[in-house]
Amino acid sequence: MSLRKSIPDFRLLENSMNTTTCDAGHRSELNDRTAPPSMRSRPTYSSLSPDTAGAEHLLVIEADALQPGQASALSKSFTSVAEALRTVVSGSELPLPGANVQPDLAATLLAVKARLSGATMQQRVYAIGSEPFIWSIHTAAIDAGLDEKQIRLCHSGSLKRRVWCTHCHETTENVTTNIVACTGCGRRLLVRDHFSRRLGAFMGVQIDAEVPGDVPAIEEVFP
Amino acid sequence: MTILFKPDETYRGDYTYRNSDAAILRFPFPFPEDSYMYSVNIEPHVRGGFTPVYNNPIDVDEHYIAECRDRAITLERDPGRYAALPHMMTAQWDSIELLMECLSSDYPELFSLHKDGDRWTWINRPLGIEQSFTFGKEDTLPCEPFEYITRQIQGDFAILDQRNGSLYLDAGMVTAQADWSLQFDVGMDFMEWHGPVPLAHQAGVFERALKYLLMLRQGQPMRRLNWTMTVNPRLDTSPETYPEWGPDRTTLTLDNIGRKLHLRVELQTLWRLPRSNAILFPLRGYLASLDELVRVPKWGRRLHRVLSTLPRELAEYKGLVRFLPTALEYLSTYDDGAPTTSGCAAEISSL
Repeated sequence: MSLRKSIPDFRLLENSMNTTTCDAGHRSELNDRTAPPSMRSRPTYSSLSPDTAGAEHLLVIEADALQPGQASALSKSFTSVAEALRTVVSGSELPLPGANVQPDLAATLLAVKARLSGATMQQRVYAIGSEPFIWSIHTAAIDAGLDEKQIRLCHSGSLKRRVWCTHCHETTENVTTNIVACTGCGRRLLVRDHFSRRLGAFMGVQIDAEVPGDVPAIEEVFP
Repeated sequence: MTILFKPDETYRGDYTYRNSDAAILRFPFPFPEDSYMYSVNIEPHVRGGFTPVYNNPIDVDEHYIAECRDRAITLERDPGRYAALPHMMTAQWDSIELLMECLSSDYPELFSLHKDGDRWTWINRPLGIEQSFTFGKEDTLPCEPFEYITRQIQGDFAILDQRNGSLYLDAGMVTAQADWSLQFDVGMDFMEWHGPVPLAHQAGVFERALKYLLMLRQGQPMRRLNWTMTVNPRLDTSPETYPEWGPDRTTLTLDNIGRKLHLRVELQTLWRLPRSNAILFPLRGYLASLDELVRVPKWGRRLHRVLSTLPRELAEYKGLVRFLPTALEYLSTYDDGAPTTSGCAAEISSL
Protein backbone atom coordinates (compact mmCIF):
# COMPACT_ATOMS: atom_id res chain seq x y z
CA MET A 1 0.00 0.00 0.00
CA SER A 2 1.31 3.36 -0.86
CA LEU A 3 2.20 5.25 2.24
CA ARG A 4 0.20 8.39 1.79
CA LYS A 5 -2.62 6.93 -0.23
CA SER A 6 -5.35 7.28 2.37
CA ILE A 7 -4.13 10.41 4.02
CA PRO A 8 -6.29 13.14 2.55
CA ASP A 9 -4.20 14.90 -0.05
CA PHE A 10 -5.33 18.47 0.28
CA ARG A 11 -2.88 19.78 -2.25
CA LEU A 12 -5.34 18.39 -4.78
CA LEU A 13 -8.16 20.41 -3.28
CA GLU A 14 -6.07 23.56 -3.27
CA ASN A 15 -3.02 23.88 -1.73
CA SER A 16 13.96 13.84 40.32
CA MET A 17 16.28 15.06 41.76
CA ASN A 18 18.26 14.50 44.97
CA THR A 19 21.34 14.92 47.39
CA THR A 20 27.37 16.05 46.90
CA THR A 21 28.07 18.71 48.90
CA CYS A 22 27.68 21.12 46.04
CA ASP A 23 27.64 24.66 47.29
CA ALA A 24 23.98 24.26 48.10
CA GLY A 25 23.35 27.48 49.97
CA HIS A 26 25.13 29.72 47.51
CA ARG A 27 23.64 27.92 44.55
CA SER A 28 20.05 27.98 45.67
CA GLU A 29 20.32 31.71 46.20
CA LEU A 30 21.42 32.09 42.58
CA ASN A 31 18.70 29.76 41.40
CA ASP A 32 16.09 31.72 43.28
CA ARG A 33 17.17 34.79 41.41
CA THR A 34 16.95 33.21 37.99
CA ALA A 35 13.99 30.89 38.42
CA PRO A 36 10.67 32.32 39.55
CA PRO A 37 8.83 29.87 41.82
CA SER A 38 6.06 29.59 39.25
CA MET A 39 8.30 27.93 36.66
CA ARG A 40 7.75 24.34 37.65
CA SER A 41 9.64 22.97 34.68
CA ARG A 42 12.85 24.47 36.15
CA PRO A 43 14.74 21.64 37.87
CA THR A 44 15.90 22.03 41.44
CA TYR A 45 19.04 20.29 42.68
CA SER A 46 20.56 19.19 45.93
CA SER A 47 23.95 17.72 46.81
CA LEU A 48 25.02 14.26 45.56
CA SER A 49 25.06 11.17 47.73
CA PRO A 50 25.33 7.51 46.71
CA ASP A 51 22.15 5.48 46.29
CA THR A 52 23.03 2.35 48.26
CA ALA A 53 20.23 0.40 46.54
CA GLY A 54 22.55 0.35 43.50
CA ALA A 55 25.40 -2.12 42.98
CA GLU A 56 27.38 -0.24 40.31
CA HIS A 57 28.02 3.49 40.51
CA LEU A 58 29.25 5.90 37.84
CA LEU A 59 30.19 9.41 38.95
CA VAL A 60 30.71 11.95 36.17
CA ILE A 61 32.32 15.26 37.07
CA GLU A 62 32.85 18.47 35.12
CA ALA A 63 36.21 19.49 36.59
CA ASP A 64 35.94 23.23 35.95
CA ALA A 65 32.59 23.41 37.75
CA LEU A 66 33.96 22.33 41.13
CA GLN A 67 35.06 24.68 43.92
CA PRO A 68 38.48 24.06 45.52
CA GLY A 69 38.19 21.14 47.91
CA GLN A 70 34.89 19.98 46.44
CA ALA A 71 36.45 16.97 44.67
CA SER A 72 37.77 15.49 47.91
CA ALA A 73 34.45 16.16 49.67
CA LEU A 74 32.71 14.35 46.84
CA SER A 75 35.14 11.45 47.12
CA LYS A 76 34.48 11.25 50.88
CA SER A 77 30.70 11.17 50.45
CA PHE A 78 31.05 8.21 48.05
CA THR A 79 33.38 6.12 50.29
CA SER A 80 30.55 3.74 51.24
CA VAL A 81 30.34 2.56 47.62
CA ALA A 82 34.04 3.10 46.69
CA GLU A 83 34.49 -0.59 45.75
CA ALA A 84 31.85 -0.33 43.02
CA LEU A 85 32.50 3.27 41.96
CA ARG A 86 33.86 4.39 38.58
CA THR A 87 34.64 8.05 38.13
CA VAL A 88 34.88 9.97 34.86
CA VAL A 89 36.31 13.48 35.01
CA SER A 90 35.72 15.87 32.13
CA GLY A 91 38.06 18.73 31.25
CA SER A 92 41.10 18.50 33.49
CA GLU A 93 42.74 16.40 36.22
CA LEU A 94 41.26 16.34 39.72
CA PRO A 95 42.82 14.83 42.85
CA LEU A 96 40.75 11.65 42.45
CA PRO A 97 42.92 8.52 42.20
CA GLY A 98 41.79 6.07 39.51
CA ALA A 99 39.52 8.53 37.72
CA ASN A 100 39.12 8.23 33.96
CA VAL A 101 40.02 11.71 32.68
CA GLN A 102 38.52 12.88 29.37
CA PRO A 103 39.45 16.11 27.58
CA ASP A 104 35.97 17.43 26.81
CA LEU A 105 32.22 16.74 26.90
CA ALA A 106 32.18 14.76 23.63
CA ALA A 107 34.90 12.39 24.84
CA THR A 108 33.20 12.17 28.24
CA LEU A 109 29.91 11.16 26.65
CA LEU A 110 31.67 8.40 24.69
CA ALA A 111 33.25 7.12 27.90
CA VAL A 112 29.89 7.23 29.69
CA LYS A 113 28.12 5.39 26.86
CA ALA A 114 30.82 2.72 26.82
CA ARG A 115 30.51 2.29 30.58
CA LEU A 116 26.69 2.10 30.45
CA SER A 117 26.34 -0.33 27.57
CA GLY A 118 24.71 -3.40 29.05
CA ALA A 119 23.95 -1.56 32.27
CA THR A 120 21.55 -3.30 34.65
CA MET A 121 18.88 -2.10 37.04
CA GLN A 122 21.68 -2.03 39.65
CA GLN A 123 23.48 0.75 37.82
CA ARG A 124 23.45 4.28 39.25
CA VAL A 125 24.71 7.42 37.52
CA TYR A 126 25.64 10.69 39.23
CA ALA A 127 26.65 13.86 37.44
CA ILE A 128 27.88 17.19 38.76
CA GLY A 129 28.63 20.30 36.75
CA SER A 130 26.93 23.03 34.77
CA GLU A 131 23.37 22.36 33.66
CA PRO A 132 24.24 21.69 30.00
CA PHE A 133 26.86 19.18 31.22
CA ILE A 134 24.72 17.26 33.71
CA TRP A 135 21.73 17.08 31.38
CA SER A 136 23.96 15.76 28.58
CA ILE A 137 24.98 12.96 30.93
CA HIS A 138 21.31 12.48 31.83
CA THR A 139 20.39 12.09 28.15
CA ALA A 140 23.24 9.60 27.60
CA ALA A 141 22.03 7.57 30.58
CA ILE A 142 18.40 7.56 29.41
CA ASP A 143 19.54 6.60 25.91
CA ALA A 144 21.46 3.71 27.46
CA GLY A 145 18.16 2.46 28.91
CA LEU A 146 18.40 3.76 32.46
CA ASP A 147 15.34 4.97 34.35
CA GLU A 148 15.11 8.46 35.85
CA LYS A 149 15.31 6.89 39.30
CA GLN A 150 18.81 5.57 38.50
CA ILE A 151 20.18 9.05 37.83
CA ARG A 152 21.11 11.84 40.26
CA LEU A 153 22.21 15.28 39.14
CA CYS A 154 23.78 18.21 40.93
CA HIS A 155 24.29 21.63 39.43
CA SER A 156 27.61 23.28 40.26
CA GLY A 157 29.63 26.06 38.66
CA SER A 158 28.42 28.35 35.90
CA LEU A 159 24.74 29.18 35.39
CA LYS A 160 25.27 29.07 31.62
CA ARG A 161 22.44 27.53 29.66
CA ARG A 162 21.82 25.46 26.58
CA VAL A 163 19.09 27.16 24.58
CA TRP A 164 16.73 25.42 22.19
CA CYS A 165 15.35 27.58 19.39
CA THR A 166 11.59 27.10 19.02
CA HIS A 167 11.82 28.30 15.41
CA CYS A 168 14.62 26.22 13.86
CA HIS A 169 15.03 23.64 16.70
CA GLU A 170 18.84 24.07 16.83
CA THR A 171 20.56 24.42 20.19
CA THR A 172 22.94 27.20 21.18
CA GLU A 173 25.50 26.32 23.87
CA ASN A 174 27.12 28.23 26.74
CA VAL A 175 24.56 31.02 26.86
CA THR A 176 25.13 33.53 29.67
CA THR A 177 22.93 36.39 28.44
CA ASN A 178 19.19 37.11 28.57
CA ILE A 179 19.07 37.36 24.77
CA VAL A 180 21.25 35.37 22.38
CA ALA A 181 21.60 34.99 18.62
CA CYS A 182 20.61 31.46 17.58
CA THR A 183 23.52 29.56 16.05
CA GLY A 184 21.02 27.87 13.72
CA CYS A 185 18.86 30.65 12.28
CA GLY A 186 20.45 33.84 13.64
CA ARG A 187 17.23 35.08 15.24
CA ARG A 188 17.70 36.89 18.52
CA LEU A 189 16.13 34.66 21.16
CA LEU A 190 14.80 35.60 24.57
CA VAL A 191 16.05 32.88 26.95
CA ARG A 192 13.09 31.70 28.98
CA ASP A 193 13.05 29.71 32.23
CA HIS A 194 10.91 26.95 30.67
CA PHE A 195 13.16 23.86 30.69
CA SER A 196 12.96 20.53 28.87
CA ARG A 197 14.69 17.59 30.55
CA ARG A 198 14.49 15.61 27.33
CA LEU A 199 16.43 18.30 25.46
CA GLY A 200 18.44 19.43 28.49
CA ALA A 201 17.72 22.93 27.31
CA PHE A 202 15.85 26.13 28.00
CA MET A 203 13.39 27.53 25.51
CA GLY A 204 14.44 30.41 23.26
CA VAL A 205 11.82 32.52 21.48
CA GLN A 206 12.47 35.35 19.03
CA ILE A 207 12.49 38.59 21.04
CA ASP A 208 11.56 40.93 18.21
CA ALA A 209 9.07 38.85 16.22
CA GLU A 210 6.27 41.36 16.69
CA VAL A 211 8.32 44.48 15.96
CA PRO A 212 11.54 43.53 14.09
CA GLY A 213 14.58 45.28 15.56
CA ASP A 214 12.88 46.06 18.88
CA VAL A 215 15.48 44.32 21.07
CA PRO A 216 15.99 45.26 24.75
CA ALA A 217 19.47 45.65 26.28
CA ILE A 218 21.47 42.42 26.35
CA GLU A 219 22.78 41.59 29.83
CA GLU A 220 24.80 38.77 31.33
CA VAL A 221 22.32 37.05 33.66
CA PHE A 222 23.67 33.45 33.73
CA PRO A 223 27.36 33.95 34.68
CA MET B 1 -28.82 17.12 10.82
CA THR B 2 -26.93 18.14 7.73
CA ILE B 3 -23.76 20.13 8.13
CA LEU B 4 -23.08 22.60 5.34
CA PHE B 5 -19.31 22.41 5.05
CA LYS B 6 -17.29 25.37 3.82
CA PRO B 7 -14.45 23.46 2.20
CA ASP B 8 -12.74 26.45 0.59
CA GLU B 9 -12.31 28.72 3.61
CA THR B 10 -8.75 29.40 4.72
CA TYR B 11 -6.94 29.86 8.03
CA ARG B 12 -3.90 31.55 6.48
CA GLY B 13 -3.05 33.81 3.57
CA ASP B 14 -6.32 35.53 2.68
CA TYR B 15 -8.05 34.26 5.86
CA THR B 16 -11.50 33.62 4.40
CA TYR B 17 -12.67 31.77 7.54
CA ARG B 18 -16.05 33.08 8.73
CA ASN B 19 -18.82 31.76 11.00
CA SER B 20 -22.37 31.34 9.76
CA ASP B 21 -25.12 32.74 12.00
CA ALA B 22 -25.74 29.22 13.27
CA ALA B 23 -22.04 28.80 14.06
CA ILE B 24 -21.99 32.08 16.00
CA LEU B 25 -25.01 31.03 18.06
CA ARG B 26 -23.42 27.68 18.94
CA PHE B 27 -20.06 29.26 19.85
CA PRO B 28 -18.83 27.94 23.23
CA PHE B 29 -18.55 31.35 24.89
CA PRO B 30 -16.33 30.73 27.93
CA PHE B 31 -17.28 33.44 30.44
CA PRO B 32 -20.14 32.62 32.83
CA GLU B 33 -19.54 35.83 34.83
CA ASP B 34 -18.44 39.40 34.08
CA SER B 35 -14.88 38.77 35.32
CA TYR B 36 -12.41 35.93 34.81
CA MET B 37 -9.85 34.06 36.87
CA TYR B 38 -8.36 30.59 36.63
CA SER B 39 -10.26 27.86 38.35
CA VAL B 40 -10.49 24.08 38.20
CA ASN B 41 -13.52 24.46 35.95
CA ILE B 42 -13.83 20.77 35.12
CA GLU B 43 -17.25 19.18 34.61
CA PRO B 44 -18.52 15.84 33.25
CA HIS B 45 -18.45 15.78 29.45
CA VAL B 46 -22.08 14.74 29.06
CA ARG B 47 -24.32 15.42 26.09
CA GLY B 48 -26.09 18.76 26.14
CA GLY B 49 -25.39 22.09 27.78
CA PHE B 50 -25.52 25.78 27.05
CA THR B 51 -24.10 25.21 23.57
CA PRO B 52 -24.92 22.63 20.88
CA VAL B 53 -21.16 22.06 20.73
CA TYR B 54 -21.80 19.76 23.71
CA ASN B 55 -24.43 17.68 21.91
CA ASN B 56 -21.88 15.11 20.75
CA PRO B 57 -18.73 13.99 22.57
CA ILE B 58 -16.66 14.83 19.48
CA ASP B 59 -18.07 17.88 17.70
CA VAL B 60 -17.96 18.19 13.92
CA ASP B 61 -18.96 21.57 12.48
CA GLU B 62 -19.07 23.56 9.25
CA HIS B 63 -15.30 24.16 9.34
CA TYR B 64 -14.41 20.44 9.35
CA ILE B 65 -12.98 20.07 5.86
CA ALA B 66 -11.11 23.37 5.86
CA GLU B 67 -9.63 22.70 9.28
CA CYS B 68 -8.38 19.23 8.33
CA ARG B 69 -6.82 20.78 5.23
CA ASP B 70 -5.06 23.44 7.29
CA ARG B 71 -3.64 20.71 9.55
CA ALA B 72 -2.30 18.88 6.50
CA ILE B 73 -0.58 22.05 5.29
CA THR B 74 1.04 22.63 8.68
CA LEU B 75 2.21 18.99 8.89
CA GLU B 76 3.65 19.23 5.42
CA ARG B 77 5.69 22.24 6.51
CA ASP B 78 6.66 20.79 9.91
CA PRO B 79 6.17 17.04 10.43
CA GLY B 80 7.37 17.50 14.03
CA ARG B 81 3.92 18.75 14.99
CA TYR B 82 3.06 15.10 15.36
CA ALA B 83 5.10 13.17 17.90
CA ALA B 84 4.59 9.98 19.88
CA LEU B 85 7.10 8.35 22.22
CA PRO B 86 7.64 4.65 21.46
CA HIS B 87 5.82 3.30 24.54
CA MET B 88 2.57 4.97 23.46
CA MET B 89 1.47 2.50 20.76
CA THR B 90 -1.21 0.81 22.87
CA ALA B 91 -2.64 4.23 23.69
CA GLN B 92 -2.61 5.08 19.98
CA TRP B 93 -4.84 2.09 19.22
CA ASP B 94 -7.06 2.93 22.17
CA SER B 95 -7.46 6.40 20.68
CA ILE B 96 -8.27 5.31 17.15
CA GLU B 97 -10.94 2.98 18.49
CA LEU B 98 -12.54 5.59 20.72
CA LEU B 99 -12.54 8.31 18.07
CA MET B 100 -13.77 6.15 15.20
CA GLU B 101 -16.57 4.77 17.34
CA CYS B 102 -17.66 8.22 18.51
CA LEU B 103 -17.70 9.68 15.02
CA SER B 104 -19.40 6.77 13.29
CA SER B 105 -22.17 6.45 15.89
CA ASP B 106 -22.90 10.20 16.19
CA TYR B 107 -22.46 11.13 12.52
CA PRO B 108 -23.47 7.99 10.57
CA GLU B 109 -24.09 10.02 7.41
CA LEU B 110 -20.48 11.22 7.46
CA PHE B 111 -18.46 8.36 8.96
CA SER B 112 -18.75 4.56 9.00
CA LEU B 113 -16.83 1.90 10.84
CA HIS B 114 -17.24 -1.78 9.93
CA LYS B 115 -15.60 -4.40 12.11
CA ASP B 116 -15.00 -8.00 11.11
CA GLY B 117 -12.96 -9.34 13.98
CA ASP B 118 -9.81 -7.24 13.94
CA ARG B 119 -10.32 -6.38 10.26
CA TRP B 120 -11.78 -2.88 10.29
CA THR B 121 -12.95 -0.62 7.48
CA TRP B 122 -13.20 3.11 8.05
CA ILE B 123 -15.09 5.40 5.74
CA ASN B 124 -14.82 9.19 5.96
CA ARG B 125 -17.18 10.67 3.38
CA PRO B 126 -16.40 14.42 3.75
CA LEU B 127 -12.70 13.75 3.12
CA GLY B 128 -13.28 10.92 0.61
CA ILE B 129 -11.38 8.24 2.51
CA GLU B 130 -11.97 4.51 2.68
CA GLN B 131 -9.39 2.50 4.58
CA SER B 132 -9.29 -1.15 5.58
CA PHE B 133 -6.79 -2.11 8.26
CA THR B 134 -6.06 -4.66 10.94
CA PHE B 135 -6.62 -3.31 14.43
CA GLY B 136 -3.33 -3.50 16.33
CA LYS B 137 -1.16 -3.84 13.20
CA GLU B 138 0.62 -0.56 12.49
CA ASP B 139 1.79 -1.53 9.03
CA THR B 140 -1.79 -1.80 7.77
CA LEU B 141 -2.27 1.97 8.06
CA PRO B 142 -0.53 4.66 6.00
CA CYS B 143 0.95 6.21 9.15
CA GLU B 144 0.83 5.68 12.93
CA PRO B 145 -2.74 5.13 14.16
CA PHE B 146 -2.88 8.29 16.28
CA GLU B 147 -1.60 10.41 13.40
CA TYR B 148 -4.02 8.68 11.03
CA ILE B 149 -7.18 9.46 12.98
CA THR B 150 -6.17 12.92 14.22
CA ARG B 151 -5.55 14.08 10.66
CA GLN B 152 -9.29 13.54 10.24
CA ILE B 153 -10.66 15.35 13.31
CA GLN B 154 -10.80 19.04 14.16
CA GLY B 155 -8.69 20.26 17.07
CA ASP B 156 -5.36 19.32 18.62
CA PHE B 157 -4.80 16.07 20.49
CA ALA B 158 -2.48 14.86 23.20
CA ILE B 159 -2.15 11.53 24.98
CA LEU B 160 -1.13 11.64 28.62
CA ASP B 161 0.62 8.57 30.03
CA GLN B 162 -0.12 7.95 33.70
CA ARG B 163 2.77 6.78 35.91
CA ASN B 164 4.69 7.82 39.06
CA GLY B 165 1.61 9.66 40.30
CA SER B 166 1.67 12.09 37.41
CA LEU B 167 0.64 12.50 33.77
CA TYR B 168 3.23 12.70 31.01
CA LEU B 169 2.69 14.40 27.68
CA ASP B 170 3.98 11.49 25.62
CA ALA B 171 2.14 11.87 22.32
CA GLY B 172 0.54 14.74 20.43
CA MET B 173 -0.90 16.06 17.21
CA VAL B 174 -0.55 19.78 17.61
CA THR B 175 -1.08 22.11 14.67
CA ALA B 176 -3.47 24.68 16.15
CA GLN B 177 -1.95 25.46 19.52
CA ALA B 178 -2.05 28.69 21.47
CA ASP B 179 1.70 29.22 21.59
CA TRP B 180 3.14 26.04 23.09
CA SER B 181 5.63 23.71 21.48
CA LEU B 182 5.00 19.97 21.31
CA GLN B 183 8.64 19.35 20.33
CA PHE B 184 9.78 21.16 23.47
CA ASP B 185 7.14 19.83 25.84
CA VAL B 186 6.87 16.19 24.71
CA GLY B 187 7.78 13.84 27.55
CA MET B 188 7.14 16.45 30.27
CA ASP B 189 5.04 15.78 33.33
CA PHE B 190 1.88 17.69 34.17
CA MET B 191 3.56 20.32 36.38
CA GLU B 192 6.43 20.86 33.94
CA TRP B 193 4.39 21.54 30.84
CA HIS B 194 2.17 23.93 32.76
CA GLY B 195 5.33 25.66 34.09
CA PRO B 196 4.92 28.91 32.15
CA VAL B 197 1.30 29.56 33.19
CA PRO B 198 1.17 32.50 35.66
CA LEU B 199 -0.88 32.76 38.87
CA ALA B 200 -2.50 29.35 38.62
CA HIS B 201 0.39 27.48 40.31
CA GLN B 202 0.21 29.71 43.37
CA ALA B 203 -3.53 29.18 43.50
CA GLY B 204 -2.96 25.40 43.64
CA VAL B 205 -5.02 24.94 40.49
CA PHE B 206 -2.69 22.40 38.90
CA GLU B 207 -2.24 20.28 42.03
CA ARG B 208 -6.00 19.96 42.34
CA ALA B 209 -6.52 19.39 38.64
CA LEU B 210 -3.86 16.66 38.57
CA LYS B 211 -5.30 14.89 41.60
CA TYR B 212 -8.66 14.97 39.90
CA LEU B 213 -7.40 13.71 36.56
CA LEU B 214 -5.47 10.79 38.04
CA MET B 215 -8.86 9.48 39.20
CA LEU B 216 -10.52 9.85 35.79
CA ARG B 217 -12.66 6.81 34.96
CA GLN B 218 -13.28 5.09 31.69
CA GLY B 219 -16.62 6.01 30.15
CA GLN B 220 -16.85 9.21 32.22
CA PRO B 221 -15.01 11.86 30.19
CA MET B 222 -14.58 15.38 31.61
CA ARG B 223 -14.36 18.78 29.97
CA ARG B 224 -13.29 22.38 30.56
CA LEU B 225 -13.02 25.53 28.49
CA ASN B 226 -9.88 27.61 28.06
CA TRP B 227 -9.45 30.75 25.99
CA THR B 228 -7.10 33.28 24.46
CA MET B 229 -7.27 35.79 21.62
CA THR B 230 -5.77 35.49 18.16
CA VAL B 231 -5.23 38.08 15.47
CA ASN B 232 -6.73 36.74 12.23
CA PRO B 233 -8.53 33.40 12.14
CA ARG B 234 -5.27 31.51 12.28
CA LEU B 235 -4.99 27.98 13.65
CA ASP B 236 -1.21 27.69 13.55
CA THR B 237 -0.19 30.07 16.33
CA SER B 238 2.69 27.88 17.45
CA PRO B 239 5.94 29.27 18.86
CA GLU B 240 7.60 27.64 15.85
CA THR B 241 5.86 30.06 13.49
CA TYR B 242 5.69 33.06 15.87
CA PRO B 243 7.87 35.10 13.48
CA GLU B 244 5.06 34.69 10.90
CA TRP B 245 2.09 35.66 13.07
CA GLY B 246 3.71 37.83 15.78
CA PRO B 247 3.77 40.97 13.58
CA ASP B 248 -0.01 40.69 13.10
CA ARG B 249 -0.40 41.87 16.70
CA THR B 250 0.82 45.32 15.67
CA THR B 251 -1.69 45.71 12.82
CA LEU B 252 -4.88 46.24 14.82
CA THR B 253 -6.75 49.54 14.65
CA LEU B 254 -10.18 50.62 15.85
CA ASP B 255 -11.35 50.20 12.25
CA ASN B 256 -10.16 46.65 11.69
CA ILE B 257 -10.09 45.06 15.16
CA GLY B 258 -13.70 43.86 14.98
CA ARG B 259 -12.89 41.83 11.91
CA LYS B 260 -9.33 40.76 12.75
CA LEU B 261 -9.32 40.00 16.48
CA HIS B 262 -10.75 36.60 17.38
CA LEU B 263 -11.73 35.03 20.65
CA ARG B 264 -10.17 31.57 20.61
CA VAL B 265 -11.91 29.07 22.83
CA GLU B 266 -10.49 25.66 23.53
CA LEU B 267 -12.84 22.86 24.53
CA GLN B 268 -10.58 20.46 26.39
CA THR B 269 -11.93 16.99 27.02
CA LEU B 270 -10.27 14.14 28.89
CA TRP B 271 -10.95 10.46 28.30
CA ARG B 272 -9.53 7.44 30.16
CA LEU B 273 -8.33 4.86 27.64
CA PRO B 274 -9.13 1.18 28.28
CA ARG B 275 -5.95 -0.82 27.55
CA SER B 276 -3.16 1.66 28.16
CA ASN B 277 -4.78 3.48 31.12
CA ALA B 278 -3.54 6.68 29.44
CA ILE B 279 -5.73 9.77 28.99
CA LEU B 280 -6.75 11.05 25.58
CA PHE B 281 -6.80 14.85 25.66
CA PRO B 282 -8.47 16.54 22.68
CA LEU B 283 -8.10 20.33 22.61
CA ARG B 284 -10.72 21.57 20.20
CA GLY B 285 -10.50 25.21 19.16
CA TYR B 286 -13.30 27.56 18.15
CA LEU B 287 -12.64 30.98 16.63
CA ALA B 288 -15.04 33.92 16.41
CA SER B 289 -14.24 37.53 15.55
CA LEU B 290 -15.30 40.40 17.80
CA ASP B 291 -17.69 41.49 15.03
CA GLU B 292 -19.32 38.06 15.17
CA LEU B 293 -19.45 37.86 18.97
CA VAL B 294 -21.04 41.28 19.55
CA ARG B 295 -24.02 40.19 17.48
CA VAL B 296 -25.03 38.38 20.69
CA PRO B 297 -25.72 41.34 22.99
CA LYS B 298 -24.94 39.49 26.23
CA TRP B 299 -21.58 38.33 24.88
CA GLY B 300 -20.62 41.83 23.70
CA ARG B 301 -21.30 43.30 27.14
CA ARG B 302 -19.61 40.49 28.97
CA LEU B 303 -16.47 40.33 26.84
CA HIS B 304 -15.95 44.05 27.45
CA ARG B 305 -16.27 43.56 31.22
CA VAL B 306 -14.04 40.46 31.35
CA LEU B 307 -11.26 42.08 29.36
CA SER B 308 -11.40 45.33 31.31
CA THR B 309 -10.88 43.48 34.62
CA LEU B 310 -8.35 40.90 33.40
CA PRO B 311 -5.26 40.64 35.69
CA ARG B 312 -2.17 42.12 34.02
CA GLU B 313 -0.21 38.83 34.32
CA LEU B 314 -2.87 36.99 32.39
CA ALA B 315 -3.03 39.63 29.67
CA GLU B 316 0.77 39.33 29.31
CA TYR B 317 0.77 35.54 29.30
CA LYS B 318 -1.96 35.43 26.68
CA GLY B 319 -0.15 38.04 24.56
CA LEU B 320 -2.99 40.59 24.65
CA VAL B 321 -1.18 43.63 26.05
CA ARG B 322 -0.36 45.32 22.76
CA PHE B 323 -3.94 45.52 21.51
CA LEU B 324 -6.06 45.29 24.68
CA PRO B 325 -6.82 49.04 24.87
CA THR B 326 -8.04 49.04 21.25
CA ALA B 327 -10.17 45.97 21.89
CA LEU B 328 -11.72 47.63 24.95
CA GLU B 329 -12.47 50.80 22.99
CA TYR B 330 -14.18 48.75 20.29
CA LEU B 331 -16.15 46.66 22.78
CA SER B 332 -17.25 49.63 24.93
CA THR B 333 -19.69 50.52 22.13
CA TYR B 334 -21.47 47.24 22.82
CA ASP B 335 -21.63 47.56 26.61
CA ASP B 336 -24.52 49.73 27.72
CA GLY B 337 -23.95 48.85 31.36
CA ALA B 338 -27.09 46.70 31.53
CA PRO B 339 -26.91 43.77 33.96
CA THR B 340 -26.09 40.36 32.49
CA THR B 341 -27.43 37.01 33.55
CA SER B 342 -25.12 34.38 35.00
CA GLY B 343 -23.99 31.60 32.64
CA CYS B 344 -22.54 31.44 29.14
CA ALA B 345 -25.69 30.92 27.05
CA ALA B 346 -26.42 33.34 24.21
CA GLU B 347 -30.10 33.59 25.28
CA ILE B 348 -31.24 34.40 21.75
CA SER B 349 -32.20 31.95 19.02
CA SER B 350 -31.49 34.02 15.91
CA LEU B 351 -29.26 36.93 14.95
